[in-house]
Order: sequence, then structure tokens, then C-alpha cells
Amino acid sequence: MTRKGVFVARLAGWLAVMAVLMWHGGAAWAQSAPQDPAAAANAYVNAPHDWELWFPPAGSPMQAKIDWLMKYVLWIMAVVVGFVAILMAVVIFRFRARVNPKPSTTTHNTLLEVTWIVVPCLILVAIIIPSIDLIYYEADDTNPYMTVTVTGHQWYWEYKYDSVPGLDYTSYMIPDDQIKPGQIRRLSVDHPLVLPVGEKIRFVISSADVLHGFYLPSLGVQKYAIPGNTLTSWTIIRKPGTYYGQCNQICGLNHDAIPIEIKAVPLNDYIAWTKMALANYTENTVTPLLSSPMPRNQLADATR
Amino acid sequence: MSITANDHALAAHGHHHQSFVSRWLMSTNHKDIGTLYITMAFIGACVGGTLSVIMRQQLMYPHSHIVANGDTWNAIITAHGLLMIFWFVMPALIGGMGNWFVPMMIGAPDMAFPRLNNMSFWFLAAGFVFVMLGLLLGSGTGAGWTLYPPLDNAQYSPGMATDFSLFSLHLAGISSLLGAINFIATILNMRAPGMTMHKMPLFCWAILVTAFLLLLAIPVLAGAVTMLIMDRNFGTSFFEPSGGGDPVLFQHLFWFFGHPEVYIMILPAFGIISHVVSTFSKKPVFGYLGMAYAMVIIGFVGFVVWAHHMFVSAISTDSKIYFEVATLIIAVPTGIKVFSWIATMWGGSIEFKTPMLWAMGFIFLFVIGGATGVVLANAGLDQELHNDYFLIAHFHYVLSMGAAFAIFAGFYYWIGKMSGHQYPEFWGKVHFWTFFIGVNLTFFPMHFLGLAGMPRRYPDYADAFAGWNYVSSIGSIISVVSTLVFFYVLVRVFSSKEKLADNYWGEGATTLEWAVPSPAPQHTFLEVPVIR
Amino acid sequence: MSGTIHTATDQVKGTVPQPYHLVDPSIWPLIGATAAMVTFTGIILAAHLHEFVVLTIGGVLDVMVMFFWWRDVIREARTPGLHKVVTQMGLRYGMALFISSEVMFFVSFFWNYFNYFFFPDKMGTAFAPVWPPQGITTIDPFAIPLFNTMVLLLSGTTISWAHHALLEGDQKNLVRGLGITILLGLAFLCGQLWEYTHSPFPFYHGGIYPSSFFIATGFHGAHVIIGTLFLIVCFFRARAGQFTPERHFGFEAAAWYWHFVDVVWLFLFVCIYYLGRSAITAG
Repeated sequence: MTRKGVFVARLAGWLAVMAVLMWHGGAAWAQSAPQDPAAAANAYVNAPHDWELWFPPAGSPMQAKIDWLMKYVLWIMAVVVGFVAILMAVVIFRFRARVNPKPSTTTHNTLLEVTWIVVPCLILVAIIIPSIDLIYYEADDTNPYMTVTVTGHQWYWEYKYDSVPGLDYTSYMIPDDQIKPGQIRRLSVDHPLVLPVGEKIRFVISSADVLHGFYLPSLGVQKYAIPGNTLTSWTIIRKPGTYYGQCNQICGLNHDAIPIEIKAVPLNDYIAWTKMALANYTENTVTPLLSSPMPRNQLADATR
Repeated sequence: MSITANDHALAAHGHHHQSFVSRWLMSTNHKDIGTLYITMAFIGACVGGTLSVIMRQQLMYPHSHIVANGDTWNAIITAHGLLMIFWFVMPALIGGMGNWFVPMMIGAPDMAFPRLNNMSFWFLAAGFVFVMLGLLLGSGTGAGWTLYPPLDNAQYSPGMATDFSLFSLHLAGISSLLGAINFIATILNMRAPGMTMHKMPLFCWAILVTAFLLLLAIPVLAGAVTMLIMDRNFGTSFFEPSGGGDPVLFQHLFWFFGHPEVYIMILPAFGIISHVVSTFSKKPVFGYLGMAYAMVIIGFVGFVVWAHHMFVSAISTDSKIYFEVATLIIAVPTGIKVFSWIATMWGGSIEFKTPMLWAMGFIFLFVIGGATGVVLANAGLDQELHNDYFLIAHFHYVLSMGAAFAIFAGFYYWIGKMSGHQYPEFWGKVHFWTFFIGVNLTFFPMHFLGLAGMPRRYPDYADAFAGWNYVSSIGSIISVVSTLVFFYVLVRVFSSKEKLADNYWGEGATTLEWAVPSPAPQHTFLEVPVIR
Repeated sequence: MSGTIHTATDQVKGTVPQPYHLVDPSIWPLIGATAAMVTFTGIILAAHLHEFVVLTIGGVLDVMVMFFWWRDVIREARTPGLHKVVTQMGLRYGMALFISSEVMFFVSFFWNYFNYFFFPDKMGTAFAPVWPPQGITTIDPFAIPLFNTMVLLLSGTTISWAHHALLEGDQKNLVRGLGITILLGLAFLCGQLWEYTHSPFPFYHGGIYPSSFFIATGFHGAHVIIGTLFLIVCFFRARAGQFTPERHFGFEAAAWYWHFVDVVWLFLFVCIYYLGRSAITAG
């Protein structure tokens, strides 16, 4: 290796280390005030990454089950598509006019026709059985450790902790021009949803104005937020970390600018955080607003 | 045959010298009205396609400013959806090719209600004006093509644009409804003597089932849209939570129409593909009855699966299971179709002319779209995949590649019959391959974006999604180039001097439109054929 | 589609003259679509700008198109040789299919009603889950609605009376039966008008109950108006002796439509007025 080559390799290595440090540690440095009880969540960031080909790493048992069923169904369907592709390839090569100048006149084959009804039915049964299991699993929101009432607004989320009286705050996206190192453009928010790890958390989802979608891909949670209606979902977050989600039902001007950021921390840290949050987040009674909604146009400018 | 001789005589005499106004504004001729519809589809596709290119340009890089703001973006995506469905796919397949070929295939001189037929077209044209007003007035209609309230109620979308978009659905709906009545009456009442239902070409079966779907689904949409208009303008509370209304009800009503609508867009495509595959394999369609009744079953089951679009909305667990199972059942008749097409080709003597390339592309890509459809039908998986780019990829595989491929297959198959001029084979193939590459490059990466969790209807996204979005946008540019090739094909077709035989595909093309001259004279089958 | 057919002409064994009615070019479809466009624009302008001129023009155009178009149809039908048996059959298909689509139109309004009738919790978290909603006094089903039910059922019998008279070539009873049916239709409309003007709940911003009630009964009322107009046209055609025992599809279509309107009312009466009544009713 030439001297120049060594230098380039070292430079690349150094840059790579710096990049990793900035990526993983940036959030921690930025908020390294020792009193931040949610700091444990900064150790692991579950966010989309470049050229991603598959679901995010499963952050919850539900997402693990979804991941498994997805692979199961997709493999079956891949076999079906592959089978059709093979048949088409055979047709293309064996039954070209040049190769097969005289067409057959077959128009019926009862056995074949019954087969291509029965076999797909059997495949469907094989898909339906585990799928129904998953539907019941997703619907089982009983016996939660805690409940968070999530309310969608144009264009921010409001989180109300039912088990912590008075804890009710709003969460706005960090505008593009105010992104700090370690934050993720279009995903990071001013006040994340802080949740304990390993506990069953029930979301009660609603909306104050139009439809929104409460969508947490890494946790396998998605429900519409419907005004006048409440839907429930639940999750158990497996390990401390930062998880992201976005609004997934068109809600107007800033539909793409109300992400969800979740900081999952150990239970003790969570309890410490609720005390901190109660002290800092709720000097108000009626409108629980840390960051008051900006006027529509100003917000539009700030987020674009 | 005497019918041919007679029609040749008519063709030689030419048309009975109508004025432009009489022929195109007052038409009672199914072929001229079909041509008007195809023109409408062409315009709709150009506008809707341009909007899609704007969308892909905006999404090519994160943090783009090609589209002014979220409201403009939402207006564009809404108009793209509405235009592509109601002013491209439907007029091309049903109003255009249906009008042209259903009467000819059943040996009838025209549609049952020629004046009504013309009014169907003009209602669609009026609807086009409205949907464009919905796009352009003020900040436009920004609720998405599904038009879910409350976003498009008077409080959140106060402008007139939304009303114009809603009324455009009324106009397009009335158009489709009258067209449906016309097709059903034509097919049931005007088949040539001896042409029993079980001898009728599959394209006619497809249009018949489609027409029944329209007849029964469109009025429900009309009711829902009417209620929405009332909510917006006349103080009712159908979908207003503040007055006790239920926004979820709109979703039910919309999808009770909307799901049959997807079959309305794909069944005529199935019909065209059957004819093209049979013609170029030089073999009759395999399992004709199975093919016909598979479409009937798809149409029937298509009415009872609507809430699979609402798996993450307010819907009970047991309903999810029912709607999932009912949806998956549709895979069986669809499988019959796909395997019967392959069986038709099997043993055939296949010529890979341009229409056949589109048809084979259709079959393969539709199977991919169908496979992701089976994935999405799982309510448990939909909790992860609903409304993200995996869904976008799925429905563009069945529509942008399914329906659009079938439209092109039909175009290349029949353009000689419609215009009297053949397309240039080489450029047709160039069009096919560039479009094939373009749309696959556009839509396949969307599967990955969806798996990674990118939501739909976003003008800007997290930087991590940039890579696949870039690839997708490159694909859309290739599709644009391909469309330019198609324009060149059109120029060549209409400047061609070549004369065409009645049946320019030869053995294999056995339906009645191949018994009349090319181009088909204005009036065909004034002497009705008697079928063996 | 059998294997023996190799070309398109193989399957043709001869020809017969076409028996259909190929109509001449007509301007009414274009004007009809324009009229619809003007009308809808008029509705939007009226709602947003309280500007009623466009709506009025649209309405006039609508009526004009319907008049001239159907005048053409009637003329053609009366021209010997144009409407042969198969064309008459086609018109029957057309009307039957149109009525089927109308049924689906009402399905959407009944769906809306049953959504709350069966699942009152769908009114949302802010409302008590009872139907009719708290604070709503409904219309007494046994007052005007029952009277109107009787009126419509009676009109169903009088139109059948007219039909039978027509089949027997009895023009006098045909006209009489039709006339009474029209009067009964008008009586029904008067009843509805009284009911609407004296309803115990307001239409405008009245909430979900009045919305559901007025849209279902209102669109039914609109259909009664259309049906009555249809019958009035038939009345004059009957007086002019245009119907024969063999050929009278215009009358039959009007009768089908009237029966359809009648059946919808029975569903409205049972489901909305009777089953959906409140403990204390008004009117």
C-alpha cells in the first residue's frame, strides 16, 4: 500500500468513526444535561435508514409478529409469482411461432381447471390461519400498565397520560431550519412521547379536527385518529431507544410535518421523567400547550 | 360473406357526409362516441400524467420546492387520482373501447340508446371541466381522491374548489351510470341471432359485469357525495362529529363504491387481454366459461369486501376477519383468469407483436400487484402497511401497469380497425419496453419505501427515504420518454398511407369486428349476422 | 368460441336486416350535459355567493332538454316502423335498470340512517348512544305519515286501475285512473309539505337526526314530484289517445316508477317514522 493509500484509508476510518459518533452520540451530547431522565433513550435510535429494504427492526412483540407473518405471506406469494414467471418463460421459449408453428386446439382440461381452483384455496387457508391469530393479538389491548390518550391536531400531536393526572402536552416537529445535530429532519420533535420499556402501553387515539393517522412502523401500530371517535391500540417496547412514526392519513397543509417521536426508557427513568414533566410541562390548565400552535402560514413557512 | 360485402360497399360509399358539428357534437354513432371517449381519455391521461411527473419531481430529492406548499401538493395528488381513474382508465376502457367494440362483437349496428350514449360522453366532458376547476380554483381540492371528511368539509376546505370536485364526481358518475344502463341493455337485448350469452366474446362479458358494478355502485357514491355537499353547504351533519355525524360512515359508503370501482377498472382490461392472448397464440381462449364466470364471481364478491380499505379505521375485530377472508377469496377467480391466459398461450404458436407484449406484461405485472394485494388483504399486516408506499406500489402495479398496459394492448390491437392505419411495429415495441422499464423502476422501489415506513401523500420526507425516491423519480422520467415515443407512434399511425385487410391479424382473431373492413365503416351490421 | 372457428366470418351463416332503431344526430345530449353543468355550477354559486341566476338558467335548461328530448322520443315511437319489438324491449331494460340504480341511491340514505339506528354510539363520544338522539322529538307516525302511506297505497291501486283499463282499451277509465293517481300524488306532496313546515326539529344545523330524516324523505319527495310529472305527461298522452292496449310503454314506465316510489315510502314509514319514533312524538 502506498503512503497516499494509507493516508486515505486512515482518513476514511477517522471519518467513519466520527460519523458513527455523531450519529449515535449526537443526540446525547445535544441534550447532555444530566437531569434529563429520558437520556437512556438516546443510546439506540430506530429510524429509517438509507436504501432500506425491509421493515424497521422490530421494537415490539407486535411488530415481530407482523414481521414474521409478512415474511411468511411474502414467501408464499413469491413462490406463486415465481411459478407464474416460470410458466411464462416456458411459454415464451417453447411456444413461439418459430418453434411451434402449429397451434394446439385444446380449450379444456377439467383436472387442470379444478386444480387451479383447489390449490389457491389451500394456499389461502394456509395464509388465513396465522393471519387471524395476528388480528386477535393486535386487538388485545386488555390489562395495560398505562394508557396514553393521543389526539391529533392540525398539525401536532397531543399526549395525555391518563395515569399521571395533569400530564398533557403537545409535540411539534422541529422545523427544518432549526434541526440540531443528532436530530432527524422531518422526524424529530420538540417534546417526544416518553414511555417505559417492557410495560404494556395502551393508546387511545382520537382527533380534535380532521382525520390523522397514528402510525408507528417500528412498533407495528397504526390507527386512524377520528374526531368524535376513539380507537385503541397497544404496544410493549422491548428496549430503551428512540422510535419514530408519522401521520399517515392526509390531514391538510402540513400532513407531512407531524411526526411522532417516542423515547422509551427504563421504568425508573420514566417515573423520574413524569415528575420532571409535571413540573415543567404543565403550568396551564385548559390548553395544554408547551409550544402554542403557530399561525397557519407561519407554520407553513417554518416547516418548508 | 354477404355482411362483409355489404359493409365494404358502405365503406366505399363513405360516410353520409355529416358536418363536423353533426358528427362530433350531436353524435349518435357508437364509433364516433367511442372516439370522443378515447380522446377524453387521452386528455385525461396527459393532464393526470403531467401531475404525476410533477409529483415525482417534487419527491426526487428531499426538501424540494417544486410544489409551492402542502395545499398545492394535496390538490395535485387529489386531481391525479381523480383524473387517472375517471378521466383516463374508465373512458379508455369502457366508454372508448367498450363503445367501439361491444356492438361490433355482438353483431349489433349500434348501442341500445345512442342519444344517451352521447350524453354519457358529454357528462364526462363536463365533469372534466369541474375537476380541473377543483384543481385550479383557489388552493384546490386537497382531501385526496378518497375525499374523506372532515378534511373536505366547509371548515377545513372552505373554497369552491372542493364543491367543484365533488360535483365532478356527480357528473362522471351520471355519465358512467347512463353508460352502464346502455351497455347492459345493448348486450342483453341486441346480440345477433344465434349469439347466446355463452358464445359472446369475453370482452363483452367483461363490459357486462363492469356495467352491473357501475349500475349498483355509482348511486351509493352519489348518495355519499350528496351528503358531503349538503354538509358543506346546507347545514347538515352527516359526517360532522359536532352534530352527531360519523366520518367513518363516509368511508363505508365511499368504499362500497370504491372497491367495485377497482374491478370496474380492471375487468374490461381482463376482457381485452383475453382477446389479445388468444389472437396472438392463434388459439381459442382456454376455459371460456371459467373465464366468463370468474369475472362474474369477481364482480359479485367485489361488492362485499369494501371495508378492507378501513382496517385501521373504526372497524371491529370480527369485521376485520370477515373482510380479510372475503377479500382473499377474490384471489381464486383471479387465479382462474391468470392460469387460463397462460393455458391459452400454452401450446399456442405465439407471435410477439406489440399488443401481445403489452398483454404478457400485463399478466406478469398484474400477478405481482395481485401478490402484494394478498399481502395487504391481511388485516394484521395492514396495520403496518396501510396507507404507506407499499400500498401505493400495490395499486399502481394493478392500475398503472395493469389497466394502463391493457389500454395500450387494446390500442395496438385495435388501432388498425379504428383508424384504418397500422402502428409501426418497431416503435410500438420501443414504447412497450421503455414503458415497462419506466413503470417498474418507478413503482418497484415504492415497495421498499413502504416497508421502511414512508407514508403516502407526503411532499417532503425524512432524508433516509431519499435513495429509493430518487430511483422512482428516474423511472418516471423514463416513462415520460416512453410517452413521447407513444406520441410518435400516434403521428405515424395517422400519417400512414398503408391499407389494411379486414382481419389484419389473420388466424386467431375470430370475433366479429374482424369480419368488417378496416377502418370499420361508420355503420356496421346494418345487415345483422346470424351466428352458427 | 369452439375450436372449429378459424376466422371471424366462419361463425356467420347469413344475415337479416337490422331490426333496431338507429336514431338521427341530436343536439339534446350536449345541451343536456351543459344544462347539468350550469345547474351544478348554479348550486355552488348559490351556496357560496347567494347568486341564484345561474341556478335558474340551469333549471330552465334542464326542463327544456327533458321536454324536447322526450318529445323526440315520443314522436319516434309514434312513427311506424321505428320502434320495433326489440327496441321496445330495450326501453324496458333501460327503465328497469334505471330504477335498480335508484334503489341503490336510496340504499345510501338508508345505510346512513341504519348506521345510527342500529349503532347509536356512532354519533360519537359527545352524544348519548340512543336513537333518536336525546332532545329530538320525532314526528308521530300515526298522524300525517300514516295518512300519506294510505294515500300512496291507494295511488298504487288507482294506477293499476288505469293500467287494466288501458289493456282493455277503455280510455275513459284510463284517464280517470291516471287523474286520480295524480291527485293522490299531489295530496301526498301537500302532506309532506305540511309535515316539513311543522316539523319539531330544524333542518339547518339540526344535527344528525334531522339530516338523516330530511335527506331520505326529501329525496323520496323529489322522486314523488318526478313521478307525478311523469304521470301528468302520461295523462295528457292518454287523453290524446296515444296509448294502445298493445303499445303503451311510456305509461308502463311511469307506473313502474310510481310503484318504486311507493315501495321506498313503505320502507321510510316503517324504518324511520315508525321504528325510529321517540317516546313522545309531535304532530
